[in-house]
Amino acid sequence: MIRLENLGLRYGLGQEVLRDVSFHLLPGSFHFLTGSSGAGKTSLLKILFMSLKPTRGLAYIFGKNVTRASAEQRAGLRRRVGIVFQDFRLLDHMTTWENVALPLRVHGKRQSEYAEDVTELLKWVGLGERMHAYPPVLSGGEKQRAAIARAVIGKPELLLADEPTGNVDPQMARRLLRLFIELNRLGTSVIIATHDYQLLTQFPAPRLILEHGRLHIHG
Amino acid sequence: MNNQAPDRHLPAIMQPEVPKKRRFSPGKAPIVPPGSVTGRSLVWVIAIMGFLSCLTAGAVYMINDSAAAWLRNVATEVTVQVNPEGTPQQVEQRSQDIVNFLTGQIGVRNVELLTLQQSAELVEPWLGQVTAVQDLPFPRLIAVEIDRDNPPDIKTLRAVLTNKFPSAMLDDHRTWQQQIRRVTGSLALGGIVVIVLMAAATIGIIVSAARSAIASNRDIVEVLNFVGADERFIARQFELHFLKLGIKAGIVGAIGAAAVFLLLPVMTEYLSGAATHAEIRRLIGSGRLDLLGYFSLLVVVAAIAGICLITSRFGVRGILNAQNQ
Repeated sequence: MIRLENLGLRYGLGQEVLRDVSFHLLPGSFHFLTGSSGAGKTSLLKILFMSLKPTRGLAYIFGKNVTRASAEQRAGLRRRVGIVFQDFRLLDHMTTWENVALPLRVHGKRQSEYAEDVTELLKWVGLGERMHAYPPVLSGGEKQRAAIARAVIGKPELLLADEPTGNVDPQMARRLLRLFIELNRLGTSVIIATHDYQLLTQFPAPRLILEHGRLHIHG
Repeated sequence: MNNQAPDRHLPAIMQPEVPKKRRFSPGKAPIVPPGSVTGRSLVWVIAIMGFLSCLTAGAVYMINDSAAAWLRNVATEVTVQVNPEGTPQQVEQRSQDIVNFLTGQIGVRNVELLTLQQSAELVEPWLGQVTAVQDLPFPRLIAVEIDRDNPPDIKTLRAVLTNKFPSAMLDDHRTWQQQIRRVTGSLALGGIVVIVLMAAATIGIIVSAARSAIASNRDIVEVLNFVGADERFIARQFELHFLKLGIKAGIVGAIGAAAVFLLLPVMTEYLSGAATHAEIRRLIGSGRLDLLGYFSLLVVVAAIAGICLITSRFGVRGILNAQNQ
């Protein structure tokens, strides 16, 4: 599913943020990506999401070398990936419901095909009463849940989440983790970048630990 | 993948697929808000372009129409000039002989000898009113109406006429027709050049507007990229707004131009004297567009909408492509 070989990344002429990162993730795997702030977690996720090109090394996503993929090929691969950003990236002029439905709309599905799924997922993440609200009036936690719902609504083959429980209470964090676990049990590979220790202890998944740009695998 | 039995506490996307009932759907906002792509000032700029293009197209159509009408009239008539050699009685007699000769020819429908007074009226716009017509060596003019369905061979007719009456000269107005064609052709070409220049300016404006629309909707473009939208999908979100802009602005421009053409006869009469008005009527006919003329304005509207659609499509895709490299 994902294969990185001697991957390196530097911004401009600065130091390498990622150094010789190599790993191989199988379909249906579940990993936590941890490391201190600034260790390069978000950069690695961006490479996996094809929004950033590594400065060296090889990155294969779904068997395709993404460093050489065309824009159209990258768009095709991204449809198979769901991502949750730290800063949510919700569209302010669309309701929560419309934001969550966006990936399906982009994939060319008809509204009648997905309307019920979107509504139910929103209720499940506790946004049933807020589905017609616009992002600017949502709290940080609500935005995060909406962003998670948007990432999982298309049942992606790979889910990347950057601090997905950073803005929610422990009870909601457990609920969201359960969502990720169930999604994984249905076949989605999951990588969750976090330094929420409680979250790490709740599910026995292997950890990818980034330290000074280098990756170590535990478990 | 571990398939699980249906769990009522999980969202539907994680359940086995079952046929669904239709339910209330909460609406579909445009992915790119219209106001962020095409502002009011852009609508007005394109509407002005549309107005000027429609005016040009209508004017070219009107002049071509008038020229075609002149040429139709001119083509059904030839003129015979009889040199005023000899006494007026001799000239009159010779003219009558020519009339008699022409009347019997195949393809000639009607022959009319113009009086000296009628000839004087023809040169009135250049010489003014001529009172002593009899004293001037005016050639006598014979108007010969041609049968359009069965026209005579003008070359043969001219040869026979000059052979029989050396002082007669047959003019089929060919030189004048060519001049009219040349003038109207030049006007049409000028009009086309003006329209092409305006189309080029419109393309420039749309490309620039597409660039700023993408810049001001950068967040939306990024999110669309994240959810797997390709360049074609993203470009479509913008081009639909530009198509609407083109149609709206084109219609506004065409309505403005149509109003001008409707009011043109009244305006020319009001702004100029009766004599000038008559001259303008000779140049541009009635000054009104016919149905086909108004249809040409609709063609301009369609062209503007097409320019907006195609330019924005290629413009947006080009910009996205450059960003993705």
